[in-house]
Amino acid sequence: MLVPIFTLKLNHKVNPRTVAIGHYDGTHPALTCGTAAGKVWFLISLICTTLNNYFSFCIFFIHEGKPHNISLKFPSCKNNILCLLFIFTNGCLCQCPDGANALTIGKLGSIESPLAIVGGNCSIQGYNKDGEDSFWTVTGDTVQSLCLLDFNNNGQNELIVGSEDFDIRVFQEDEIIAEMTETEIITCLCPITNARFGYALANGTVGVYDRSTRYWRIKSKNQAVSIHAYDLNGDGVPELITGWTNGKVDARSDTTGEVIFKDNFNQALAGIVQADYRMDSSAKTGDQLLCVSVDGEVRGYAPATGGPGSSLMDGNVEQDTIRELSQRKQVGCSDVKSYSLSGSGIGELGSGTMGMIPANTQLQTTLSVNTGDQTKPVSHHYNHLLIFIFFISDTIIRAVLIFAEGIFEGESHVVHPNNQSLSSNLKVPIIPPKDIPVDLHIKALIGQKNSTQYHVFELTRQLPRFSMYNLVNSETTPDPRSHVSFTLNERPQRMLMWINQNFLLHEDLSCEGDLYFTFVSLRGAGPLKLRMSHQGQVAIHTDDMDVAGDVIQSLAQFLNIDDLQTTADFPVETETLRQILIKVDEFHRVRSKLTAEMADHSNLIRSMVVRAEDARIMGDMRSMRKGYMELYDLNRDLISGYNIRCQNHNELVACLKQVNQIIQKAGRVRVGKFKSQVISSCRSAIKNNNTASLFKIIYTGMA
Amino acid sequence: MMQLDLTRVDYLQVGITSQKCLQVLPLAGKTQRIAIGDNEGILRCIGMRKGEVQTVFQTPPGPHKLTRVVLGGQVGGVRERIFSASGAVVNAYTKKGKNFLTFDTNMSEPIKSVYVEGTDLLACGKFVFNHYRDCKDINYVLCNDQISDVLCLPTENRGGITPILACQDRVLRVLQESELLYEAEVPGPPVVLELFGNNGGDEGNEILYGTSDGRLGMLQIGTLVPSHRWELANEKRGGGILCLDSYDITADGVMDLLVGRDDGQVEVYSYDDTDEPIHRYGYTCNESITSVKGGVIASSSFDEIVCSTYGGWVFALTTEHLTREAGPTHVTADSVAVAKINTLKTQLEDLQQKVTDEREKYQQTAYSKTAVSAVPIFPINDKFVLNREDASYTLSLELQTPIDNILLQSDVPVDLLDVEKNSAVVSYSACSPEEGNFLLATYRCQANTTRLELKIRSIEGQYGTLQLYVTPRIQPKTCQLRQYPIKPLSLHQRTHVFDDNRPHNSLTLTGQFSMTEVHAWLCFCLPELPERAPAGDAANFQFSSTFLDTQLDCTYRKGEAVFRSDNISTISILKDVLSKEATKKKIRLDISYDVNEDSIAHTLQMIHPRLEHQLLLAKKVQLIDALMELQVNEPDLSFMSPEYQQILASADDLKSEFKRQPCHLERLYGMITDLYIDKFKFKGQNVKSKVPALLEVLDSYELGNLINFFDNS
Repeated sequence: MLVPIFTLKLNHKVNPRTVAIGHYDGTHPALTCGTAAGKVWFLISLICTTLNNYFSFCIFFIHEGKPHNISLKFPSCKNNILCLLFIFTNGCLCQCPDGANALTIGKLGSIESPLAIVGGNCSIQGYNKDGEDSFWTVTGDTVQSLCLLDFNNNGQNELIVGSEDFDIRVFQEDEIIAEMTETEIITCLCPITNARFGYALANGTVGVYDRSTRYWRIKSKNQAVSIHAYDLNGDGVPELITGWTNGKVDARSDTTGEVIFKDNFNQALAGIVQADYRMDSSAKTGDQLLCVSVDGEVRGYAPATGGPGSSLMDGNVEQDTIRELSQRKQVGCSDVKSYSLSGSGIGELGSGTMGMIPANTQLQTTLSVNTGDQTKPVSHHYNHLLIFIFFISDTIIRAVLIFAEGIFEGESHVVHPNNQSLSSNLKVPIIPPKDIPVDLHIKALIGQKNSTQYHVFELTRQLPRFSMYNLVNSETTPDPRSHVSFTLNERPQRMLMWINQNFLLHEDLSCEGDLYFTFVSLRGAGPLKLRMSHQGQVAIHTDDMDVAGDVIQSLAQFLNIDDLQTTADFPVETETLRQILIKVDEFHRVRSKLTAEMADHSNLIRSMVVRAEDARIMGDMRSMRKGYMELYDLNRDLISGYNIRCQNHNELVACLKQVNQIIQKAGRVRVGKFKSQVISSCRSAIKNNNTASLFKIIYTGMA
Repeated sequence: MMQLDLTRVDYLQVGITSQKCLQVLPLAGKTQRIAIGDNEGILRCIGMRKGEVQTVFQTPPGPHKLTRVVLGGQVGGVRERIFSASGAVVNAYTKKGKNFLTFDTNMSEPIKSVYVEGTDLLACGKFVFNHYRDCKDINYVLCNDQISDVLCLPTENRGGITPILACQDRVLRVLQESELLYEAEVPGPPVVLELFGNNGGDEGNEILYGTSDGRLGMLQIGTLVPSHRWELANEKRGGGILCLDSYDITADGVMDLLVGRDDGQVEVYSYDDTDEPIHRYGYTCNESITSVKGGVIASSSFDEIVCSTYGGWVFALTTEHLTREAGPTHVTADSVAVAKINTLKTQLEDLQQKVTDEREKYQQTAYSKTAVSAVPIFPINDKFVLNREDASYTLSLELQTPIDNILLQSDVPVDLLDVEKNSAVVSYSACSPEEGNFLLATYRCQANTTRLELKIRSIEGQYGTLQLYVTPRIQPKTCQLRQYPIKPLSLHQRTHVFDDNRPHNSLTLTGQFSMTEVHAWLCFCLPELPERAPAGDAANFQFSSTFLDTQLDCTYRKGEAVFRSDNISTISILKDVLSKEATKKKIRLDISYDVNEDSIAHTLQMIHPRLEHQLLLAKKVQLIDALMELQVNEPDLSFMSPEYQQILASADDLKSEFKRQPCHLERLYGMITDLYIDKFKFKGQNVKSKVPALLEVLDSYELGNLINFFDNS
């Protein structure tokens, strides 16, 4: 069994996700943590040192950003002192107007110098050691996690980005080469080996991806605070170490997810890092794994020396195996017993509590789009997908449980009608919030009225990606104002196949000649028209740029298109962008004005304090009181000024997020290199304050 | 003190076991044997040889489950005869397995607990107690509440038999022949009794008891009065006690106390110099422990704690080291284990084939038009109990097979609290009260979860049913419905004390109703009442609120019922529910009430210390982080006020207390609001519009102001 090689009590509260290792003097690893009051402190080797001279910088740094979700990570290279000074002294990060939520340091792609990569509101920026931003791109939503690894085995690092729209995107420099949709916000990412990386979600899921295939995942009711790859059992392959909110730490095999070690802290974990903390000269011991809890308990673990196959867990393996096998035997026995007892004879369907049902009962489901009452104004609350579940026999449906990820608030949706309205069919309305394909695992509880025992029928149905769209007559529906058009080297029949696979249709569509279909979004995003001529000219008419992006990405994937340039005409969206940019300018102006005011005030305060204190020493109590009263008023002004500044800042950040989102959307209506081209040209247009060209880029995809 | 280091070894798995169905036979030769009875009616007697289970004898399956297995023998001699109870029959076996006695008690209820002393047999059903001597019925007692366990003091040095019954209404009833000698109140509903040190201590009159809310205690049964020796509260919120034993597992010459709980905990307590128990060792398995016994089973000179679980596992916690460090012994244990694993694997394969065959057979029937499918009901071991400490309900359920998922549905507003040891993933589903759903939640269990615990907080006055649909991982998939009533006065608990000096409000009902009817209404309103009306013309029950400690006294007979409580809200709830129930049954009721104005101030005064404590606690907890920060930066803390220093010193305790009682303050506010509305309801005024004003007063809480507000509005 593996036990910690050392434990420490720091007597400091540590903020979750603010634990890092730095080599500030070039040799000694220092455990670096952010504390509750927004300070950063250091613990070098086993001797606690607080480097006071860094404090001022740190406070500044933390105050400007958001202290609670900044993750400090410093690579353990020797020249790292530079990195640190750059981060703290340059203050570049605090100046990133998009905010900073996630941070990683390392080499990216072909860029020569290591970068500090910061994920903010939809934007990702990379700073080199001189504080110049030499990398910029946008992503779908606020970035929550970042990591660097060689994803496509080309000898260069790719950037993996987890964001609040549940997507994991892989950037080869500024081009997205892979995109995986998860079921919740991606809170942590960490490289394991080669192209394998671990991830954690806000709903308590932890798993491992190898490239874009998910190897395994598990879900707990607790959330993972920190994940880290470390070879704990000494077999040469790192395991995924997870620190949980309930104080649990476990190590799981990277291939199977099997727990090979676990330990418990009294408090939630704050972070997991690795360093050669004991600095003992024997090279073979290597780094230790350091787990830090929020109440400042640190435990250090060294890799097990028992050799491969030795168990790190308490107790012995044989006993556990026996127990598990016996358990399985027990389950098997009950299966046999319940099959043989399943009264498969001929009998009366009584009203008994046994819940007898005819043996030929079958579960049937249909999916349909319900547009509600057409006469009423179209509100998307009336529009939903309907799962119609029914049984062809004399039974009732007591309840229906649907387990599906990403479309309900939790992971399940339950329909439990009251006793009076039980019948053999049931309608379940659902509203998938996003255009993603979903597997619905339906469990229906079937029996008789007043049964205490029910049969459980299980069924899995797949929702196609564009299930929230209803086919309507193309002639009577007006054209939306905006559209994307492009040319494909394909026959319309291929596009028809794509439509049949990705939309929820009563029967497969067919068409002669030019393809022209109209759908209406049930989410209130208006009509979506898809046209394709024999010459391969495609036009997608919709007012929602997101929808257009989804359609193009899905289509490109279906048709295996690597690069696609399009013309995107979105007058409404461009108008919004124009308005936002004007607002942003305004906010900037207000901000500088407020900053100037604040500087004035602080000078005033200094002189007033001196004057009031002078008066006190002179014994002139009246002037002193007056002086302090004035000071009090000024202080109040300062506070209200600060509040205005905060509000201004928040609004500015929100606006910038919108700008980034529009750029991202403009990217999403293109594919491959044209997508990254749009994003980088938009960036330079904004940098140069060239609004006119920005609109042109969004329209044509070229600068 | 030496650290206890015990290793778990699994012996075998039998069917589901009831409480106290495992016994360790006296030492004969080098090791001891185990007798275990299960719910399939099989009694097995096993021994261990070279790590393998050897069956000494085994009875065929019986028609009823075995509810108890006890040992008996001659008075003063060795207890080596095995007695098992099933249905109304007691069977006795010699240690070799000879069935030398089959005794049909002809009791009206199936036997739930038995005890054997010499030729005396004590047997209890749900409510009746029978005493047989030489298989002849000599004494009989009908109890007012359910009997959970029975024993008698050793008869060696005392004249007659002194039976003691553990009853659900929180008392131990000490009997003399067919008469009740006296009642001894214990802090919770007792479920298990054992003689202290297996012989009743020096004077042979000390007994240990365990309660379903996890408390332990020792009582000395005097000739006229009991005396409480010690009592262990359930501070760690462990599960209910199911079994106890005395055994010297620490090998220090003094008996230790072994405890098994229904949340899977096995504990060892040693006695300190003052004979008070102190916790020495704890082991947690995932199933409830139905029996715990000390003995020497597998190899001589190594003491073990033998346990049986609900799911039928028989395992031991042994002092013998079976892990790797053990050196030579490790090899033997290993080879035995490997052989075991191999046999299990082949058995599994056979089983898999059988399952496939059966499934095919089952699916064949699906083509038949006339056939029906009905799945057998699987046993569920469930418990729904009120915790006095935080006035919430714990719902625990346990299956023999792993649970797949659970659907929880409630037609009353209840709060679901997180239980830390649960690993199941909970998901709340949107629900609409119009469909009768105030709560819809699913629990998806991790593999191998056979036991699940849920915590539920109810609101007094809101009543209905909590429904649970349990789906285990067996094929064909079925689910079972369990229902638990949330009663109108759900937070009340039975007591046997009543303080007459408090100011009381009273409610009197008169009308044409029978004793049984009024008892049924009461059962509908209050928990912990026996199902049947007590014998006699009149009945009297006392309750106290677990949340506020206010009291309620119910006295009723045919045609009249009187309720007295110092809390007007309790009276108001009773009045509403009872009049509704009577209307449903079309019985005309005359309701009169007497409101005592002093009781309002009294109740507020009862709430006051709690509210003040909670407010202070909340304030202190809020300060902790800031003070901690100061502590980090200041080398010397002497400048702080003593109050702040004290907060810092007890920061951890304060935080854990705060965490233990979520929403306590909100609940207190709710109670005060109810009190306010109820006070004026009895005056015929609706004051709901003034509630915001009341909340304002509460925001800047001061007892005087609050009482004034109650008086003046």
